[in-house]
Amino acid sequence: MATVTNRADYWEKARESGFDLSWLDQLKQNTLGETTSEFSENNTGRVEGSIPRGDVPQFGAYTFRTKKDVWAHNLTKLYQEFVTRQWSSATDIPWETIEALPDDIEAAECQLATFFAQVEFVASDVPGRFISTMSPDYHEVRMVLLGQVMDESRHLDVFRKRALANGGGLMRMIDSVSDVVGGNTDNAREFTELSSRLHITGEGNVLTLFRLGELMAYNEAEKAIYRRCAQDEARHVAIGVLHLRYMNEFNPERREEIHSYLDEGESRQSSGAGGENPAARNILTSEALAVLLGGGKDKTDEGQKILTAIRQRQTKEYFQRLKSSGFDDRITNGRVNPALLEVYNPA
Amino acid sequence: MSTSENPEETPDQPVGQEVVASEPASPDATPNRMAWMEDTLEWGVRAQPGKHGLTMRDINTGIYGDVPEESRDMSRRPRGAFPIPGVPRTDLYTLNHKVELWADNAVDLYEEAIQRRWMAHIDIPWESLEPHSEDVELATRQFCTELAQQASIETDVIGQWLHHMNYAYHEVKTFLATELFDSGRHYAAFRQRALANGGGLGLESPGHINRRILESRAGWTETALYLYILRGTLTLLLYRYGEAYTNQPAEKLLFRMCMQDKSRHMAYGMAHLKYAVDEKGPDYALGLRRLMGGVERDLASEMKDPVLWEALAIIIGGGVQHIETGMVEVKNLQRRYIEEYLTRMKWIGVGKTADNLDSGLAAYLGQKESNPA
Repeated sequence: MATVTNRADYWEKARESGFDLSWLDQLKQNTLGETTSEFSENNTGRVEGSIPRGDVPQFGAYTFRTKKDVWAHNLTKLYQEFVTRQWSSATDIPWETIEALPDDIEAAECQLATFFAQVEFVASDVPGRFISTMSPDYHEVRMVLLGQVMDESRHLDVFRKRALANGGGLMRMIDSVSDVVGGNTDNAREFTELSSRLHITGEGNVLTLFRLGELMAYNEAEKAIYRRCAQDEARHVAIGVLHLRYMNEFNPERREEIHSYLDEGESRQSSGAGGENPAARNILTSEALAVLLGGGKDKTDEGQKILTAIRQRQTKEYFQRLKSSGFDDRITNGRVNPALLEVYNPA
Repeated sequence: MSTSENPEETPDQPVGQEVVASEPASPDATPNRMAWMEDTLEWGVRAQPGKHGLTMRDINTGIYGDVPEESRDMSRRPRGAFPIPGVPRTDLYTLNHKVELWADNAVDLYEEAIQRRWMAHIDIPWESLEPHSEDVELATRQFCTELAQQASIETDVIGQWLHHMNYAYHEVKTFLATELFDSGRHYAAFRQRALANGGGLGLESPGHINRRILESRAGWTETALYLYILRGTLTLLLYRYGEAYTNQPAEKLLFRMCMQDKSRHMAYGMAHLKYAVDEKGPDYALGLRRLMGGVERDLASEMKDPVLWEALAIIIGGGVQHIETGMVEVKNLQRRYIEEYLTRMKWIGVGKTADNLDSGLAAYLGQKESNPA
């Protein structure tokens, strides 16, 4: 091993031969800070903690450069879970267990699969857009969002596969725009707005449904699909819960604004507008669910009863998320959507 | 069912064109209960899993495998799903033509990306890392900082284009989602390596090419030219040299896994660019060649920056005392980079040759070969 004196000699000799090496001195001085900066000066896409150069154009022009606009605790751990729990729709689903189903059941499975193939990628396009507008200094947030993009792509894929694997086909698309009041998940320009609506309400509702997949699955393949998607979806919901928890703690002046996003989300949860809740009343997916849950198109009354219980479960889980993130005051102070209270406490 | 048994309800749509809503399809909230049970464009599909499981290619059957040359659908209607009339637009997608993003191999590359997934925090034997000499450790940190930034820029670029892509081309969108995920993994892994033996990160990139890739607005194809042929060619070579010149198993494996991922990204990029150039013809190819004129000057300017090359020369040489030996190999790498750039441009059908290459880059072609990685 070279001694310090020898090293200085080598460096000097190399410099005399025309090498620059000034970066080595800079690097030796650079240490990694332990905290994430509250405001990011990084507009050049550099890696958090790397040494800035003075002459790089500010081409990053990131919209999100303030920690409290995007941050959440424990995201590194969550990202590792994203990485660890990836799965393959081609090989991890026991497709060979699928057997022919009665036409009405197959149609209902296919309708539900068509719905998921359509809406799941919303949660891929939109977070993708946000990643590129977020300073790399908040890379933990970017990482979980790109994990979500990956998951949602697989969901699009696995539900498309289900629709085309058992003698059925894709069925009717849904209208995800009409009757949407207030902001739209697709159109969100603000991260907390997006997260409140996408992670807390939209994906939360879907998570409940995936968790109850056993009830609407007719073979091991479908059970595996719902089980694995539920695991993925839980991570996505966790992004929102962790973010709102952080906002509640460190950015309480935005609580009222966040409540207004939740107002909009609840409205959609109960009405089904925007396709955010496939179990909502009077939309075609709830009919498909009733067929699956009841066991046929002539048994939808039974299916509707189970669906009512599912809606109640969705509401309970939503209330739990509110509690966990610190926004459960709305449940008791009269702000929560009355339709949800009705579902939660049926007469 | 509105199936082939009921042909009057199945729009007779030629391959390569989109199915449009036909009256009187039921609106979403119909009073006609269970009407949706009839709404399918093709029924009776039973895709069978093959030896690689049930792949996306396996389900590209019947109308579900017809990829339209153009899609005017601004909703997220899954390709082949039953359309309903009067659906408001979800978005104004800007990439609505197959030629603007397509590659035939995207569907297989998507499945391959998932089959070959790996976990940087688990699969790399970080515990086996031993300290390098101080020179080499500093150089490794610099090298890994550069690679992490290249990955981060890739994340930004794909993130900002993905949502512009029409849903009719979901094979490409889902493949790019895997590339986005890969780029995040590369970022995390190289950052982790840079910090693994203590100390801080190196200097940021000079930024000329990052800026070009990120600011590209002319189209996804133009962006792909920068992202894959200009940047990806270099990234892949850097991974190869990194793998060849480290004696640490953890670093070797890291570079190997990243190489595997990057080769997949390049396979899509090359296939798309070739397809686009073939379809759009010589005038478009000439435009791409001209486009690269200014970019090449930026690249020549960026390549004069000594930081990355000196760091590599220290790693290859084994310390500052052997930096001159290392620099011989770095010059090989630089020459190979420009040669491969020309080869790739030729392969996609853009007439880029040493004769019309920027003179600053052409100078690298004369650099002598010794013992390349």
